[in-house]
Amino acid sequence: MKRLMISGLLVAALAVTACTNPDRFGADGTGAGLDANAGTTGGIIPGSANDPSSTAFFQQSIGDRVLFEVDQSTLTATGRATLDGQAQWLMTNSDYQAIIEGHADEQGTREYNLALGARRANAAQEYLISKGVPSSRLRVVSYGKERPIEICSNEACYAKNRRAVTVLAGGLTS
Amino acid sequence: MNTGQYISGAGHIGLIAWLLLGGLFTREPEPFEMTEVSVISGADFDALMAAARPPQSTTEVAQPAQPTEAPETPELTSEPDTDIRQPAPLPTDTPPEDTPPELAEQTPPPEAPVQDPPPDLAEPVGDVAVLAPDVAPEAAPRPVERVAPEPVAQPEPEATPDPVEQEAVTPDSTGEAVEQETQEATAPEEAVSEIVTEATAAPAASSRPPGRRPAAPAPRVAEAPTETVETPAPAASDPAPSVNNDDVLAALAAAQEAVAAPTPSGPPLSAGEKDALRVAVSQCWNIGALSSEAMETTVVIGVQMNRDGTPVIDTIRMLSSSGGSDAAVRSVFDSARRAIVRCGSRGYSLPEEKFSQWQNIEMTFDPRKMGF
Amino acid sequence: MTRFLLSLCAGLALMFSAPAQAQEPLRIIIDEAIIEPLPFAAPAFQAESPAAGQMASDLASVVAADLIGTGLFREIPSSAYISTVNDFNAPVQYADWKAINAQALVTGAVNVQGNNLNVKFRLYDVFSGAELGSGLQFSGTVDGWRRMAHKVSDAVYARITGEGPYFDSRVVYVSETGPKDDRKKRLAIMDYDGANVQYLTDSGAIVLAPRFSPSGDRVLYTSYESGFPRIYVLDIGSVSRRVLESAEGTMSFAPRFSPSGQTVVYSLTQGGNTDIFQMDIASGQSVRLTNTPAIETAPSYSPDGSRIVFESDRSGTQQLYVMPATGGEAQRISFGEGRYGTPVWSPRGDLVAFTKQNKGRFHIGVMRLDGSQERLLTASFLDEGPTWAPNGRVIMFARETQGASGSSTLYSVDISGRNLRPVSTPSGGSDPSWSPLQK
Repeated sequence: MKRLMISGLLVAALAVTACTNPDRFGADGTGAGLDANAGTTGGIIPGSANDPSSTAFFQQSIGDRVLFEVDQSTLTATGRATLDGQAQWLMTNSDYQAIIEGHADEQGTREYNLALGARRANAAQEYLISKGVPSSRLRVVSYGKERPIEICSNEACYAKNRRAVTVLAGGLTS
Repeated sequence: MNTGQYISGAGHIGLIAWLLLGGLFTREPEPFEMTEVSVISGADFDALMAAARPPQSTTEVAQPAQPTEAPETPELTSEPDTDIRQPAPLPTDTPPEDTPPELAEQTPPPEAPVQDPPPDLAEPVGDVAVLAPDVAPEAAPRPVERVAPEPVAQPEPEATPDPVEQEAVTPDSTGEAVEQETQEATAPEEAVSEIVTEATAAPAASSRPPGRRPAAPAPRVAEAPTETVETPAPAASDPAPSVNNDDVLAALAAAQEAVAAPTPSGPPLSAGEKDALRVAVSQCWNIGALSSEAMETTVVIGVQMNRDGTPVIDTIRMLSSSGGSDAAVRSVFDSARRAIVRCGSRGYSLPEEKFSQWQNIEMTFDPRKMGF
Repeated sequence: MTRFLLSLCAGLALMFSAPAQAQEPLRIIIDEAIIEPLPFAAPAFQAESPAAGQMASDLASVVAADLIGTGLFREIPSSAYISTVNDFNAPVQYADWKAINAQALVTGAVNVQGNNLNVKFRLYDVFSGAELGSGLQFSGTVDGWRRMAHKVSDAVYARITGEGPYFDSRVVYVSETGPKDDRKKRLAIMDYDGANVQYLTDSGAIVLAPRFSPSGDRVLYTSYESGFPRIYVLDIGSVSRRVLESAEGTMSFAPRFSPSGQTVVYSLTQGGNTDIFQMDIASGQSVRLTNTPAIETAPSYSPDGSRIVFESDRSGTQQLYVMPATGGEAQRISFGEGRYGTPVWSPRGDLVAFTKQNKGRFHIGVMRLDGSQERLLTASFLDEGPTWAPNGRVIMFARETQGASGSSTLYSVDISGRNLRPVSTPSGGSDPSWSPLQK
């Protein structure tokens, strides 16, 4: 029950992020599932969020990040769902490489948070590999607490900073 | 006896409980103040410092400049940040560091001016000095590192080894002084806090394992002085270290005084009278600037008193010490000497009719229970 | 002959006065005291050459600032002086200094000839009416005047406190500017008191946790300039650097020199797992020291190089452990409530400083090597990364403030827990590392 609530909170947190960061997620970022359908059928502008092979689509429609609980590197159900989408996308768009960045919130010592961020990035990487993405296309890096995206000092921000972000690289020629 | 066992028992039980349950209590450590630090760290730290320090010492800088205070010494030429560590640092030998200081400290400082007026020669004598150890190399440049000649004439206090005369000097100068400034203002506060502390039986100490404090039976010792056999210092003057004229003179002076003004030994000091003295000295004993190692160091200091209750400054000497490195002992001794002199500058409140009872005082300064 | 007569007289006198002299000394035990800063006076040094005027007062000011900064001393302002010192070699008027309760008096003289600077000083115990130790003098260049002031302070401090010196030292740290989500970091080096800041890297890449070599001439640090965290070693004199550990697919960080300066202990992350390794700098050969699925990081050598203290979450939370420097079985030493990280072995060898997290607060603390006598020195929203002064008496660390506008500042604190004070730096600072005493 508690877990469910936490998951719910995380989803809510994601939604809030999307709302407050239009530049990052696009105006229609909240309707991820719908967009995915729309993207495959409608008139497609290459490279836009409507183009299912675009990085914008990957970031906004599939979701480029998964979040973690405090001091944890275990994937949440929400996280696994997001990674399923990422794996599928990466399998489809096989020209892309990805670097998975692990991050932690500021509530921890610097070295430990580096190691914790590495655990998170690694958890995401291993999940993607288990879904068929070749390990040669994935690299990991941890930033610890050095690169927060939210800067308030409370749980609302911390929750968004405890993340693993899949950053696409290469493949632009496709 | 019983009390001791109870305390010891309680301490041990506490210790065992802590060992078993330590993980549950964060705050536990505080009561167990660091008692053994000095034992380990003394050597370690010295070794460490010796390793880290050698070239840095002042000797370095001064040494190349052979001529006394040569005006244009080219020793360290360029920008010091990088330079100093690279060039010549190694040649010097720093080893003699630690040996001299404590002896130097113990020998009465006034000897220097009296015995050798020529400033340059100062090094061989008593002033061999405390700070200088790392400067000690016997090589030629020796005189350089000393800063110039000693002050030629030492001020009054040093000059008079005779107790009778001196008491006139000391109170005079300080007496007026004390009233002028803040010192007077601060003293009362200290007094208050001190007394409170005593009354509450020094809370900090209560939780310490009693076994570690040999000084526990303090009051008893004080009241029955004859029991203690440790210090064989029957004569008034410095016991072991020296047998020179000064001692003789001091003994003579003391003897003369005793003869000139024979007083009945009188009854021993009452507990209250001793306590008053203890509190008075405590109020001036500032350990705020002592090293953590010094805070684990105990010194026993002997002092002769004037009939008016002022200490004879020149007679303040260290009888023994335990627990710290030379530097730690030195700083505790200095702080204790300051305390005796400063709070005694107008005379301690001691019953004159019992003068012979307190003409010689041995004070044990033990900062351990006030550690962090 | 005279001597003999005197002895004889003394002997006779002693015989006559035997009853009085045989009196046992009064014995008392002083085990209570006051704890307050020691009042001292440091009047402007004497200028012994025309060019030395300004420097004479500047030197005295730096000496006073050093001593005050320890929290162990209090300066008596010159406005209270009854007399002043006009001649370095003249006898001190003790009565005048007693009158204003100056318990220690520092006098000095400065001579400037061209680019050469010569500084002499003496230290007096005013109430005992005696000089403490003998004076010393230092020679160098005019540019290095602050160092000479620090050396004077070190000598005074060491003599009075019995503590080892530490003022003539430097600190390398990470200079920080910008908001939390766009923070620029670069390595900087400065005197221990924040003077003479110089930058060692630009802000192009994140840099973390610089650490001094035992000889103070090199710095290990972590940089993202390759895109991944890697350990670099930087020569301070030439400001040249090279990467130490660059195995593909790994991250390396948290490096620290061994006391010999020849090996480095650090963390290496592979496949999400972080362990501790040791590398011989000359050969580049590395050896694994821990091998668990836990996070093992922040290693720090004992001063004799025989052991390593580090943090691990093998128990489930971050705790401190000690193991032989060659690896092997580790003993847990932290058992208090909360989490413990970033252990640093004190230069004296007797204590470990650490960062502790408990109930949403961060603390800098110290404990003995067996985990006993834990003492928390600070508490705040976020304190972390302690480093020891060369004498093991003072700790510097970084304090980050809360919220969107939060920033990081260096602080120092006495190991008694007293005298917490910010270190003045031009911009924010974090990850300080204190150098050994300069040579």
